[in-house]
Amino acid sequence: MVAVETIVGSRSSGGASAGAVAPRTADHLIASIPTLWLAIFFLTPLAFTVIFSFGRSTFGGVELGFTLDNYATALSGFYGATFVRTVIFAASASALCLAAAYPVAYFIARHTTRRRTLAILLILIPYFSSFLIRVMALHMLMSRGGASEIVLNALHLHAGPLDILDTQTAVFIGMVYAYLPIAIVPLFVVLDRIPRPLIEASRDLGASPFKTFLFVTLPLSRPGIATAVLLTAVPMLGEMVIPKLLGGSRGVLMGQAIASQYLQSQNYPLGSAMAVLVLIAVAVIVLALARLTKGFDEVTA
Amino acid sequence: MTVDFRRSGLLSRRSILGLLGAAPATAALSAAFPGSFRAEAAGSGQLNVYSWPDYFSTGNLEAYAKKSGVTPNITTYDSNETLFAKLNSPAGAGFDIVIPSSSWIKQLADKGLLQEIDHSKLNLASLDQDLLNRDYDPGNKYSIPKDWGLLGVVYDPEAVGGEIETWEDFFKAGEKPGVSGKVRLSDSGWETIGPELWLQGKDWNTATPDEIKAAGERLKAFAKHVKSFSGLDPNQVANGSIVLAQTNNGTARAAIGLNPKLKWVVPGPFSELWVDNYAIVKNAPNVDQAYDFLAYQLQPEVQLEETQYIGFPAALAGLKEKLPADTKNVDIIFGGKDLDFKKLTSFVVNPETIGTYLQVQAEIQAAAGG
Repeated sequence: MVAVETIVGSRSSGGASAGAVAPRTADHLIASIPTLWLAIFFLTPLAFTVIFSFGRSTFGGVELGFTLDNYATALSGFYGATFVRTVIFAASASALCLAAAYPVAYFIARHTTRRRTLAILLILIPYFSSFLIRVMALHMLMSRGGASEIVLNALHLHAGPLDILDTQTAVFIGMVYAYLPIAIVPLFVVLDRIPRPLIEASRDLGASPFKTFLFVTLPLSRPGIATAVLLTAVPMLGEMVIPKLLGGSRGVLMGQAIASQYLQSQNYPLGSAMAVLVLIAVAVIVLALARLTKGFDEVTA
Repeated sequence: MTVDFRRSGLLSRRSILGLLGAAPATAALSAAFPGSFRAEAAGSGQLNVYSWPDYFSTGNLEAYAKKSGVTPNITTYDSNETLFAKLNSPAGAGFDIVIPSSSWIKQLADKGLLQEIDHSKLNLASLDQDLLNRDYDPGNKYSIPKDWGLLGVVYDPEAVGGEIETWEDFFKAGEKPGVSGKVRLSDSGWETIGPELWLQGKDWNTATPDEIKAAGERLKAFAKHVKSFSGLDPNQVANGSIVLAQTNNGTARAAIGLNPKLKWVVPGPFSELWVDNYAIVKNAPNVDQAYDFLAYQLQPEVQLEETQYIGFPAALAGLKEKLPADTKNVDIIFGGKDLDFKKLTSFVVNPETIGTYLQVQAEIQAAAGG
């Protein structure tokens, strides 16, 4: 959602319309449709999840009531550790993704002129294919006797069969690959909006390119960083396909644990309690990053 | 005539669907939109089948449509859990035939989601009697076997350094250098903990939660040797990135087809027999049509075609002899030369213990690190 906002924002707000405009009745009307949609199809199931999380499980059903047992289980021992592991996993994968996305976004924003639409398009096009197909493609590339093995051997960077599949390395490669486009786009948008005169002024006043980057570009790109982290870390908290396909399902994450409670154990209350905890974690991240994203308004100097 | 065992390779539903884990979305959707996924309104001259994807020979379906004038309307699910959740909700109305696995028959029947089958309308005599009247559904009250498979082990005898005959051999072999780190275990709790329970002389269907946890301890210690719990890609065993793997006979046969030096065994003292079954839904709107379709499906030539299409054996007696003579590794289709059905047991999901199996499995997978 935030990405769409920022893209649209960057296109339409040519500087003049950036100021606040009083909303009209028609706007309210238009906004009410998606709001109603969300209320029915998002908030209602969410409410059920919250209610279920306080109930008792009857295999494939829920006995409504009020008990905190599910939360106690979800936070105790094994599941507590899983929760912590999931947060660490999402945080590190998101950080890696950011590290890979920043230089790309910087390059596109600064060093392409007429080809930037093409550059953005090239990054986004693979994103139109199914997530699963992209991960399966990586699976094939990384498997023994696959393309990566042949290339690495030919370049003498590696000798013999490549056993990268079903390792943590493969999982992180997959995570960065899959989430890279959604990290690049907000970073590009914000880097593109940093006024050139600011950079030139910094250089004219004697700052080295590095110092200019560190004290001008980087702080001004803060909202983009926050958005990129938000858009990658949040879905990563629920990620279960990549660890399964590329990591051999070793080291269980929260997404898998919740799905298993809902489907295999038919224990809706425990699954719901775990889902609510993840939701709270997401809310905390969003609130923390929302402060940074506010900076978008301040950029238009 | 070449045999198209298209499902025994990467496309085997037990491997690929396990890999995808797409079930939660389906369940969530059907929970969020009750009724919206309902099969089309039923009337006479209709048949609504809810089944695994690509689980009926297209040739047979066309022939049935021509013969009866009714084209079965097939909707698909990707796990027994999804089937259960759907039938257990308003969205489950309108289906006639479903294909639950042996493990879920009891739960579906206990919830009153299946109807008793009238045996007088079907010819069960032509089926393999070893597959009838099994523990998961005594007297086949609710289920007719469709096709079946086994839990066994595919391995590279050279890397493992010997033969595997029991699950003890399997665990010992996994610890050896050269094998450790190249082992694949199932991602289903009962298939990993079950072997240790059998070694301890226990039955996986009657083991108490404490016994399951105790048996799980061995698996947690063993986990450090495991490379993967995900669905097995036959290529991984064929190319040596995995040398010892729990898997089903279909995947094993595909791997051995790629690399003939590999071996398949159904280890002792016990191992798993899973059977996918035809069952009729409690309030099926087209019961007569359902029986007509089942009677058609149980005919020998139809069973033969089904076997060739899905890659797992249908329930027809003497099926092995009826397959074309040039079928490769035909023994493995049927689990091996000297398969003893008395040493096979089918898992039955029990609300009292299923949570424990899954919890311990999650702990085993976590212990394998990542």
